Amino acid sequence: MRPIISIASTTLGEAIRRKVLLIILLIGILFLVIAPGLGVLSARSETTVLRGMLLGVIQLTSAVIAVVLTVYMIPNEIERRTIYTILSKPVQRWQFLVGKYLGAVLSLGLMMVLMTTVMAFTFYLQQRDFTAVPELVKAPVMYFVQMSLLAALAVFFSTFVAPLVNFFLSGGMYILGSLFNPFFQTLDQSPTTPIGAKVAAKLVNVILPNFANYNVQNPIINPGQSIANEGAYYFQVSIYGLFYIGILLVGGILVFDRREV
Amino acid sequence: MAAAIETTKLTKGYKSRIHGTVNVVDKLDLHVEEGEIFGFLGPNGAGKTTTIKMLLGIIYPTSGEGYVLGKEIGDMDVHRLISYVPERPYYYEYMTGMELLKFYGSLFGITDVKKFEALLEKVNLHRDASKTISQYSKGMQQRVGLAQSLLNDPKLLFLDEPTGGLDPIAHREIRDLILSFRDEGRTVFISSHELSEVELICDRVAIINRGVIERQGKLSDLLSGGRVEISAEGVPTQFISDMKINDANVRAIPGGVLLDMPEEADITAVIDAVRAQKGKLLSIVPRKKRLEDLFVETVRDKSVAPAAAKKTLTVESGDKP
Ligand SMILES: Nc1ncnc2c1ncn2[C@@H]1O[C@H](COP(=O)(O)OP(=O)(O)OP(=O)(O)O)[C@@H](O)[C@H]1O
Ligand SMILES: [Mg+2]
Repeated sequence: MRPIISIASTTLGEAIRRKVLLIILLIGILFLVIAPGLGVLSARSETTVLRGMLLGVIQLTSAVIAVVLTVYMIPNEIERRTIYTILSKPVQRWQFLVGKYLGAVLSLGLMMVLMTTVMAFTFYLQQRDFTAVPELVKAPVMYFVQMSLLAALAVFFSTFVAPLVNFFLSGGMYILGSLFNPFFQTLDQSPTTPIGAKVAAKLVNVILPNFANYNVQNPIINPGQSIANEGAYYFQVSIYGLFYIGILLVGGILVFDRREV
Repeated sequence: MAAAIETTKLTKGYKSRIHGTVNVVDKLDLHVEEGEIFGFLGPNGAGKTTTIKMLLGIIYPTSGEGYVLGKEIGDMDVHRLISYVPERPYYYEYMTGMELLKFYGSLFGITDVKKFEALLEKVNLHRDASKTISQYSKGMQQRVGLAQSLLNDPKLLFLDEPTGGLDPIAHREIRDLILSFRDEGRTVFISSHELSEVELICDRVAIINRGVIERQGKLSDLLSGGRVEISAEGVPTQFISDMKINDANVRAIPGGVLLDMPEEADITAVIDAVRAQKGKLLSIVPRKKRLEDLFVETVRDKSVAPAAAKKTLTVESGDKP
């Protein structure tokens, strides 16, 4: 366990010093801060627009950070030969990979906490409504599970594809899983769908990580909507996420174990 | 003595589009004894790093087998007893020397700060413990690498080109450290083509070329067969030739005779003979066989293409670009 913790904290130490990540983070924070100013241009209910913008900025920034952070993580270790000094010590490859992943999730969590804090402040200063803040913060919590899943996907791919390919592969699957999973779900459940398409839709649904699960912003943005049995839903999709992350990590370990580094 | 490293027919092949599978390490039979400094020599691309990586379990052999400290390669228990400093190493730049040791120490479960301080002192970095690696010079980075390699008090160290790219003073510091490892009873496996260095510190060497071991043995045995040159005046050339020394050459030089003979030959007999002739000895110069000669001889013999021979010559001159 100790090597995993050490590797994770080292990964965190590196991540918070990576300029690219800090720049992305700063841009995200900048948009969070100026969001109220942009919101007044719209005619719709001010609070709805503001909520939507804040959550959107957090989600987009986090997704970019998650992918950029993870696609270079393993290749960098190999290129700089730091992995050799680590693996020649009593550290198993799975410990290395899990440590790296946890470090990435930790860094991601830290950056998301920072952005969420900025968001809460911005919202409070603009709306002077403290009671709405906890409601607003629920979304980034679910986004964190989503980004952890995205990071696991990228770590999995990083054990066998090059960083740039991985960037588009993981990013592409994230967009696909966010936008189209609900579509495939409907297709699968609709009685009018032909059986072939139904099977295909089911397959896509099972294989493609269901990123859409975590896009919980709609009821938070729109006062009229709500998720039935919200607590149970959050719990259920979090378990789904953990399960999927587990599968991706095991898959990554199986590839990485056989790989020449 | 027990073997620290033992390999039989250890082979690593890589697939290449043009040549099919190429064995970059080919049926390697290595034997390294405990407590010795072993030099693993070869030109660029000979397969040194590949061999070390196989012995560490970082890459997997295509065939053959190897044992490190009596355990089959890849055995995790052995990793507690060995350590490795890669060629041109890179350490996390944002860490200080002390943090680096803490990190690597934690991989063994070592948290003793006193130990880290002692190691930094041993490699003469105790005054730079709180500088970051990015502020270290190349020589300092190599030394902090050696410090981390000593964390687990290893019985066997793998050092891949430990003095590559360092200045003469740094060379000497590293060399002294390596010698101290042997005094502490550790086995040291050094890959290198810095031949003068190897000659000074290694007990035994193997010369590998294109993945094949060409020579292996005690340095003193491999370098036997040196020669001695004796020059004298006032003695006829014919007289020396008449002594019938095996494998000797005699020729006239301005003002005398030059005799070139094997170092094992009877030198005193020659000196006595010169004196008896009332001749005058001018000089006796031992010409020891240098590792460099052996290396070039070994590597060049096997190079088919002249271009390759040229390449080895640049290696031999020792200055890397
Ligand atoms: N992953 C790989 N795929 C294909 N060929 C490889 C791979 N790794 C090494 N080689 C080849 O194996 C040969 C031996 O490489 P190796 O790094 O072991 O040489 P070396 O003796 O350490 O050389 P140097 O003194 O330059 O460090 C080289 O020809 C190299 O191109
Ligand atoms: Mg090498």
